Amino acid sequence: MKADKEKRRMISRDAARRRRRVESEVFAELSRLLPLQQSVQDHLDKPSVIRLTLSYIRMHTLLKGITGKKAEASHAVKCEQVMESGEEWRGCDRGRDDEEKKTDDVEASEETNMFLRILEGFLIVLSTEGDMIYLSDNVSKYMGLTQTELMGHNIFEFTHPCDHEEIRNNLRLTAEEVWCGAKRDFVMRIKGALTHRGRSSNLKSATWKVLHCQGRAKVCVAPSSVSCLLLTCQPLPLSHTLLSTHTFTSQHSMDMRFTYCDQRITLLLGYSTEELLGRSIYDLCHTLDTNCLTKNHLNLCLKSQSVSGQYRMLVRGGGYVWVESHSAVIPSVRPSKSRPGAHQPLCILCVTYVLSGVEEPSLQLSLDQTVHRYLR
Amino acid sequence: MSAGGSDGTADRPADLAADGECPEQAGSSLPAAELPRKRKGDVEERSGTHGQQSVDFQMDDDLSRSEGEDQQVKMKCFREPHRQIEKRRRDKMNTLIDELAAMIPACQPMARKLDKLTVLRKAVQHLKALKVGTGSAFTDTTSKPSILSHDDLKHLLLRVGTHAVDGFLLVVSCDRAKILFISESVSKILNLSRLELTGQSLFDFIHPKDINKVKEQLSSSEYPRQCLIDAATGVQVQVDAPARPPLLSTGARRSFFCRLKHSRVVGKQDKHFLPCTSKKKDSSRYCTLHCTGYMRSCPSSQLDSECDGEMESSDLSCLVTVCRLLTPVSHQPPKELTIRPSEFVTRWAIDGKFTFVEQQATTIIGYLPQEVLGTSCYEYFHQDDLLHLADKHRQVLRSKEKIETRCYKFKTKYGSYVSLQSQWFSFTNPWTKEVEFIVSSNQVISRGPGHTKDEEAGNSKALQEDTKQIPIIPGLSSGLGTMIYAGSIGTQIANELMDSYSRMNSSPSSGACSPFGPAQEKCPVVSPLTSTSASSREEASGSSSQSQCDSRTAAGASSATSESLAAVSRININPIQGETSQLDLDLVPGLSSFSSDEAAMAVIMSLLETDVNMGQSGDFEDLHWPF
Repeated sequence: MKADKEKRRMISRDAARRRRRVESEVFAELSRLLPLQQSVQDHLDKPSVIRLTLSYIRMHTLLKGITGKKAEASHAVKCEQVMESGEEWRGCDRGRDDEEKKTDDVEASEETNMFLRILEGFLIVLSTEGDMIYLSDNVSKYMGLTQTELMGHNIFEFTHPCDHEEIRNNLRLTAEEVWCGAKRDFVMRIKGALTHRGRSSNLKSATWKVLHCQGRAKVCVAPSSVSCLLLTCQPLPLSHTLLSTHTFTSQHSMDMRFTYCDQRITLLLGYSTEELLGRSIYDLCHTLDTNCLTKNHLNLCLKSQSVSGQYRMLVRGGGYVWVESHSAVIPSVRPSKSRPGAHQPLCILCVTYVLSGVEEPSLQLSLDQTVHRYLR
Repeated sequence: MSAGGSDGTADRPADLAADGECPEQAGSSLPAAELPRKRKGDVEERSGTHGQQSVDFQMDDDLSRSEGEDQQVKMKCFREPHRQIEKRRRDKMNTLIDELAAMIPACQPMARKLDKLTVLRKAVQHLKALKVGTGSAFTDTTSKPSILSHDDLKHLLLRVGTHAVDGFLLVVSCDRAKILFISESVSKILNLSRLELTGQSLFDFIHPKDINKVKEQLSSSEYPRQCLIDAATGVQVQVDAPARPPLLSTGARRSFFCRLKHSRVVGKQDKHFLPCTSKKKDSSRYCTLHCTGYMRSCPSSQLDSECDGEMESSDLSCLVTVCRLLTPVSHQPPKELTIRPSEFVTRWAIDGKFTFVEQQATTIIGYLPQEVLGTSCYEYFHQDDLLHLADKHRQVLRSKEKIETRCYKFKTKYGSYVSLQSQWFSFTNPWTKEVEFIVSSNQVISRGPGHTKDEEAGNSKALQEDTKQIPIIPGLSSGLGTMIYAGSIGTQIANELMDSYSRMNSSPSSGACSPFGPAQEKCPVVSPLTSTSASSREEASGSSSQSQCDSRTAAGASSATSESLAAVSRININPIQGETSQLDLDLVPGLSSFSSDEAAMAVIMSLLETDVNMGQSGDFEDLHWPF
């Protein structure tokens, strides 16, 4: 009896082993089909293989929908021909041969590489559930994790929990937006496994990196309905190696009152640096831009960095200029090495770019502008 | 073998040192996860649920295997049975397989659920079919394979209709701003083709007022000042011009905004469009672009196919930038005043004195902004409405929501009244949580009695004549005795608010109450802090930010930020609906999730730890030029 049982167990174990082996072989075959470097292919675990396969298929579907029927037709034709002849697929492709296509591809690659480098950001394609369907391969430079490690995972696993709701709102597509290619522009925090020198480190010591995300939501109706968000994500640099005469820097306490301002503001807006100290930035701006400033301020409080978008700053004596501010929260005192964990008072550093000339110079909209006028 | 091996860690390598740390702390702001590693036959363990909902870094199997210590500790703390780990792994795999099946057309019409192996096999077939169709066939085997072909990537980034970036790549020479290269996507942004632009001078397309700005950016290190911002202190540091030879300032970053002309005709090329060489006032339309990039020097022969006769073998300095269109502002420029002639926006201090008046107001109330600025709004309210408006005033200072007034009469410059209705909203500083001002959006309901078209025309004519006169002080000339004291109503209401601030702040334990409503969530409010900040506030109404900072520091480190952050969480601002969409105060919606201690801690940690990005000059040595 026992022997029987044993035998049965052995048979089932063997069967199981065989199944596992077959399964592994199929996985291996699948991973080899993925357009990745061999070294990467060999080291993928099973869930990763599926994740990446899913991404690949989804991107293909998305692009087919985007580039339209023309691409589909050429693909289909190529497909057929390969099936038949196994070799050639010339002629139906707008008369271009392999060589031309190759050069085009090379040119495209150089251009996109350069673009991404100069942009200093990476591209991410997100599904409406937040799955990172695709990331451009330079993501490793910003997050410390490679494209293959991230593709197929969900963005909520990598972003700060307090930003999740905002991200969700951005992922949502309303009916009107579907046809207008809705734009997106927001700031979020993502895990960055990079040391200060830019080398990849462990995720365990990851810090939050603030990214400015801009792009649009996209819906493709055919062949199958797929909607996604295309975004470029850029870290917000704070140092500017050349600040021009059309920018000024300022420091503020956390409630956005000026604590310092550089002299260029006098040339640009007419205020002396002394008279600004203690003034709130909200008082100096056009009322209709209050919401823009508030959003900026909140981003600073919550995420420590922000890009304001365009708003109007009132010029002393009348009129206003359009500006955009890039700001960050920094410790207002040099962090001391002796007490590394101690709290430092924080302040806000802004670099403000003036975008336009003074508009409506005779228009006085705010109390500040009139007071100065009458006093002088 | 590992010490805590009974709970499923049997297969793990033995080098697990258990430290007594609770995973909660380890997990809060520093996510513990690892790069996927292939372990054939290994049991893939999942990190256990930590029990903290708000900070959930749960990842799927292949990333969740933390470093030995953490995992060990988690096991110790939670003692999860092996079965459950296995089960979760299987579930995850099943989910993935289902997703895969959903994406493969061949698996679609099946009535019954397919088994794993079949789905995988079909996936293999599908990929094979896809690969044939895509471009991977004509990239040679030596080139790096990638998920997307470069062309596809370009589509996603730049091409018309699909792009993530409303922008284009631009390379200009530094000496004469000659456009050396510009990407195709420019056609969508400026409605000008690449061909039209390449070889032209960029200055022909820039707004005249921005020419100097761009010249400045194009100049290399002859520019006297190089300003850096010291990351640690935020202070601007002047750096002497570097010792390198002037032309080779490769790597220097540039970032600026400029306005470029764009052709009016959408989609078609404007045949009559020529670079502006005439001295006439330029009436073209401009769009604002943000240009970021780097200086680069490159051999001129490579770039400049049309030589000016002088064959320069020296390097050409040029600027490589990405120019990105700014998200257009929804507000219309003031020249187009006709949009909503019967509405205007004003801003008052908390005591009702006007601090900002939109220019549109003049057509409705007759006064120019400077005539009413500084005066109290109560001086213009009709006697009958004073009570109701004062009540609304009190309300708005205490509410986070928009308050709508009933219809009321507002005195115009000429003594007549116009009927208005307004929405008031108090602006609270996100950091200090104190009301700073009130924004009022006002609509005309109907003209007051006696306002006929002729009278309006007469009014507008009179308006022009009146601009030189001394501003009329309303209230004193109206003859209604009570109006003289009208201004004090506002001041009184404001004082009530200030008192309530100090009362609230000085109570020993104000708990979680904000002046604006009941405590909504449990917040880590620390009251000693608020009392010190109140005292600094009472010192001088224009208390300098420095003293505020000090009081915060004095009161205690993390409690400062946590209190303010908690305050931020209690702001529950509803967006203003209604006709004035410009006042859509639709704030960052992430606030409501900001409800627990842990989340607040996480933010504080992040403020202190966040990598404030210090841009480094990129290394572009190996950047290939696309031409």
